Amino acid sequence: MIKMTFKIWVLIFFLVASLIAINPTGYFQSGVLVKTVVSDSAASESGMIKGEIIKEINGNAVKSMDDYIKLMPELTENLKPVNWTIETEEGTFEYSGLNLEMSVDENLTILNVGKNALISGITENSTLEEINNKKIESIDDFDSAKIEIEPKIELKITTNKGKRTFHASSIDFTVSSVPKTNLKAGLDLQGGARALVKPEKKLSASEMRDLIEVTKNRLNVYGIADIVVRSASDLSGNDYLVVEVAGVSPKELEELIGKQGKFEAKIGNETVFIGGNKDITSVCRNDASCSGIRECQQSSDGYYCRFEFVIYLSESAAKRQANVTSTLSENLTASGDRILSKPLDLVLDDKNVDSLQIDSDLKGNVATQIMIRGPGTGKTQIEAYQNAEASMKKLQTVLITGSLPYKLEIVKLDNISPLLGKEFVNNLFLAAIAAAVTVFIIVFAKYRALKYALSIIITVASEIFIILGFAALIRWNLDLASIAGIIATIGTGVDALVIIVDESEFKKVQYSIKERIKRAFSIIFGAFATVVVAMIPLWWAGAGMMRGFALTTIAGVSIGVFITRSAFGDFIRQIAKE
Amino acid sequence: MEGEGDQAQRAHAENQGFSGTPKTKGFFGNIKEEPIAKKPFNFSHFYDKSYKFLIIIPILILIISLVYMISFTVQTGDILRKDVSLTGGTSLTVYTDKISLDELESKLKPIFSDVSVRSLTDFGTGKQLALTIESQAKPDDLKKAAEEILGYSLDEKNSSMEFTGEALSKSFYKELLFAIGLAFLFMSIVIFLIFKVPLPSIYVITCAFLDILVPMAAANIMGIRLSAAGVAAFLMLIGYSVDSDILLTMRVLRRKEEALNSRIFGAFKTGITMTLTSVAAVTAGYVITISPVLKEIFFILLIGLITDILVTWLANASLLKWYCEKRPELK
Repeated sequence: MIKMTFKIWVLIFFLVASLIAINPTGYFQSGVLVKTVVSDSAASESGMIKGEIIKEINGNAVKSMDDYIKLMPELTENLKPVNWTIETEEGTFEYSGLNLEMSVDENLTILNVGKNALISGITENSTLEEINNKKIESIDDFDSAKIEIEPKIELKITTNKGKRTFHASSIDFTVSSVPKTNLKAGLDLQGGARALVKPEKKLSASEMRDLIEVTKNRLNVYGIADIVVRSASDLSGNDYLVVEVAGVSPKELEELIGKQGKFEAKIGNETVFIGGNKDITSVCRNDASCSGIRECQQSSDGYYCRFEFVIYLSESAAKRQANVTSTLSENLTASGDRILSKPLDLVLDDKNVDSLQIDSDLKGNVATQIMIRGPGTGKTQIEAYQNAEASMKKLQTVLITGSLPYKLEIVKLDNISPLLGKEFVNNLFLAAIAAAVTVFIIVFAKYRALKYALSIIITVASEIFIILGFAALIRWNLDLASIAGIIATIGTGVDALVIIVDESEFKKVQYSIKERIKRAFSIIFGAFATVVVAMIPLWWAGAGMMRGFALTTIAGVSIGVFITRSAFGDFIRQIAKE
Repeated sequence: MEGEGDQAQRAHAENQGFSGTPKTKGFFGNIKEEPIAKKPFNFSHFYDKSYKFLIIIPILILIISLVYMISFTVQTGDILRKDVSLTGGTSLTVYTDKISLDELESKLKPIFSDVSVRSLTDFGTGKQLALTIESQAKPDDLKKAAEEILGYSLDEKNSSMEFTGEALSKSFYKELLFAIGLAFLFMSIVIFLIFKVPLPSIYVITCAFLDILVPMAAANIMGIRLSAAGVAAFLMLIGYSVDSDILLTMRVLRRKEEALNSRIFGAFKTGITMTLTSVAAVTAGYVITISPVLKEIFFILLIGLITDILVTWLANASLLKWYCEKRPELK
């Protein structure tokens, strides 16, 4: 019988701790995980929140993503875009969409026009007359027509947190399968985009912290989940910013993080206010009443759309604006409007976004609410609309997060498709099993003893398990380089175990088993030290892009030497005594 | 492998070690063993006579590799062939089995003269999963050309794109080579600290140097373009390959109660098991894995480990034996 020594107890402790860290309970959880919920949607108003697990929809059990994918098309069958025929005093417009895409005030003046409606040519401030050949004479008419025509479904969703019932015209939440464990796959296995950004000058530690903060904020404004933003420096002392995100195109990433985001609002040569929360207290976004695409027109070379959104200036910025405007003279435009002699120029990264004429009423006045406008152009109307939307989002982002006091250069930009990840992972399992089997066969052939071969395989397996537990604990994303590191550990692990067995068999009579195992460990510690010191430079080399490799190798051999291999030593000592 | 005959051979090897001392002659047990000792071929004797000549093989390998590496460096201006992650440029992977490697390459060649295309195939079926296009061209240009040939547009789902700026990749490469140098230096210091005797430490370090040099030459001969991961594999090799040298040196220098030859033979039995299990695991990994990154790492490890077998047991063992023969206290 095996006596449970202290070292074997230590091994058992770490195995249990790793199991808890990895937390494989996801394997026993059925349902789908809510990844995102659109704010102010029917779903969010029903109480649905990110992170809950959907168990049932409209009486149908949802056990997995397969169930969900099968079920949703059936439920949303009726959620097809309908044709809208809208008559205003400017004419008749037709488009198709899930929503009516507009609202009206008590005078039936059209407001907050959505994308498809705008593209069909409907302009704001025109007056609504008919919807799908139905006369609209009051807000009530409008509301009833809207409810009647807009497709809607009722969803009764049971989650692990409660019941949610709501009517929706679109599915305003996204789901994913429930993660099986706490282990996270790296970018090259799960897909995503990565950028390596180099600031033009050497940053101090606090400047680097600010840069990370601003970058995180910019990505958050965009609503991007699962972000990794960290600094990295290389052996030559260069500093880099590493950004890894899933679900963003590399173009967007480039726009978001590669730009300095220097925003200035100028009148003449004087800067009135800049981006960031010192001058701007709040920026309206995701709220159709104060931000959106307002107008689309044909222009000489394609199409042109205009975005608008409201910002609120701080007291001091508003006073600064009042001081500057008070010195300006008043002009009269051709159309008879009274405006100030100089416009308000909106400048982003030294490029003029738009020049806004200032109403002469504003001369010398302290106004905290300012309407920001800008254009988007394109060959087609849709392209112009999308460009306007993108420009608006970008401008909103820099107005919220402020600018960086230096330029950035994207030196590496990768985008990895999620397509191959699964294939890689399955393939790696196969490779690991094949490697384990070959190792088993060789060890068995050498010692002709099942006890040695089996205990070597078990020890190596627990080594891998503890490495994974460690990775789960520190939230390390396992990428291909990390897996290569784990493989290296297996190699050195088997080597060490073979040394222990051989040393324990050596001159049984002359030396105590304790002495023999001690000798084995002096060799193993030597080998351990060389592996660790060889990996240390890789932590920094090349901006830490191979860090996963260094980390898993060092963690792996350390776990091996201090936990699993010592326990194995104790184990062999007992086998040898028998 | 290790049966009774084996143990007898070990006992015999120990005997041989003490062969200079006549006091065993009088023992009854030894007279009984006499028929075995008169076997026509005695490996221990053979080893005693020939070990100095065995060093010639690793020295030849060293000279050939060095000459090749020097001429390669003179010709190409660099010690390695690099892929776009180290030269700067774009690597575009499209997930398709509609177009063959040759077709895509022949259509891209006229546009980008430096283009190279690799294929990624499934391990079980051999089906083409994806094609990877590498060129120093800008990502947008490469993507556009590929889209025209494929006839559909590439997005984040159906393709992967990796772009590395030229300045960064240059510094990457420099850094990785520097890391290898640094790792080698650190490893050498550790070896000196472990053994505290200059000559045997230098033997181990020389062997580690060969373990890196030979796979480098092999990669160049095979025309492999190394990525950042491939260069990092050399770092792994530094730690990996000295295991058996440490084992050998430790056993030979510290286990003085045993005869010199049997110390070496015992170390060989352990060491060869170690390296062979690693070779087997790495070979299995190399054959099965489809990831180009891991394949590259496994290839370098494989060559390194095979080199290590030759270098440790032909060079390091012989040099150590030589070293010990000259010092009575280690004999």
